[in-house]
Amino acid sequence: MKSHAIHFAVLVGILVIGISAFLYAYGDRSMQLTVGILTSLAYLAWGIIHHALEKDLHWRIVLEYVLIAAIAVVLLMTIIS
Amino acid sequence: MKIRRLLQHFFLPHHSNNHRSKILHLDAMLSYVLILLVFNLGLRFVHREYPQVLGYAIDIRVDQLLAETNAKRQSLGLAPLELNTQLSEAAAAKAKNMFEKNYWAHTSPDGDTPWQFILGANYRYTLAGENLAKNFSDSHSLVEAWMASPTHKDNIIKPGYREMGFAVVNGILGGEETTLVVQMFGATEGQALVSSGEHLAVSPKQPEIPEQSASEETPVLAQQQTGQAGRTTVLSENLTSVLKKPLLDMPTVTHNVVFVFVGILMGVLAVDALVVARRGTVRLSGHNIAHILFLCAILIALSSVPGGSLL
Repeated sequence: MKSHAIHFAVLVGILVIGISAFLYAYGDRSMQLTVGILTSLAYLAWGIIHHALEKDLHWRIVLEYVLIAAIAVVLLMTIIS
Repeated sequence: MKIRRLLQHFFLPHHSNNHRSKILHLDAMLSYVLILLVFNLGLRFVHREYPQVLGYAIDIRVDQLLAETNAKRQSLGLAPLELNTQLSEAAAAKAKNMFEKNYWAHTSPDGDTPWQFILGANYRYTLAGENLAKNFSDSHSLVEAWMASPTHKDNIIKPGYREMGFAVVNGILGGEETTLVVQMFGATEGQALVSSGEHLAVSPKQPEIPEQSASEETPVLAQQQTGQAGRTTVLSENLTSVLKKPLLDMPTVTHNVVFVFVGILMGVLAVDALVVARRGTVRLSGHNIAHILFLCAILIALSSVPGGSLL
């Protein structure tokens, strides 16, 4: 349970850094898109590592994180591009 | 009864959907990615081919830009800037050049810098700067966006400037109807001498651009971006305002679709997580809470994106 909380604290840290970098790149759309893609990749990596450590990693779970990250990137492209 | 079962199947974890809301299944999520991609491409196609149907609703006027910019300066205790005809001519020449050579950058593909346009309008500057913007809906939101961007804000609140000029020009850039706003700042020799004494304490960071090296230095500009291939036409009849009202406003359409979609997705994820937690269902899937946190971050980021682009 404690490790679960630590994992989620790491996720919140990743997202806070991502949002901060996104806001810092205000006005520079290509940089904001890059930050969004990198944050999505970090989220995917977090999902894989978290489930690997929880010992319930399965290809369906990896695909789920890939698709959520892909949805986020397409949404970013829709607004930013 | 049938509708209730259908809603249960799509929105709630149930034995009919293997205890995972149908709209959260992998095949459903893959279809969202594809539908959003088609939506994205479709928007661009309709905007390019029918800008009067789907475009940018725009109401930008030079007098409003001047008033808004000076209001920002005055709120910081700085002197307002005078509208200068030569700087406005330089801004208009720059905007026309961007449409003719089809680029969106401070420096043209041929290497023409903003300083060349300013000198070409016979404005002998000792300090100069340029802000660019495209496809903003109104003067207020544009000036607010410039103020939210550190490099553009630096130009607006630079104490050494004494005058500014604007051009608001509509045309075809990169194959799409685009409204460009060019804001040029400057001070001539006598004016700059006065300013250095008056405002040094307010803003000590004053990257001056010596006239003789103007073509080499770009200290007050944001980064450069290369233009795209396509038609190059100036559509504006005057260079002091652009008023457009298409049937559908592009930023409104995209924001509404994206925020409603993410809202529904987050809602279903939350309900799915609650029901599974209450029932104690054991299943193989990712963490809904993690997905919700991630989508929240994406929404926060997207809500900060201004309606147009800055450079």
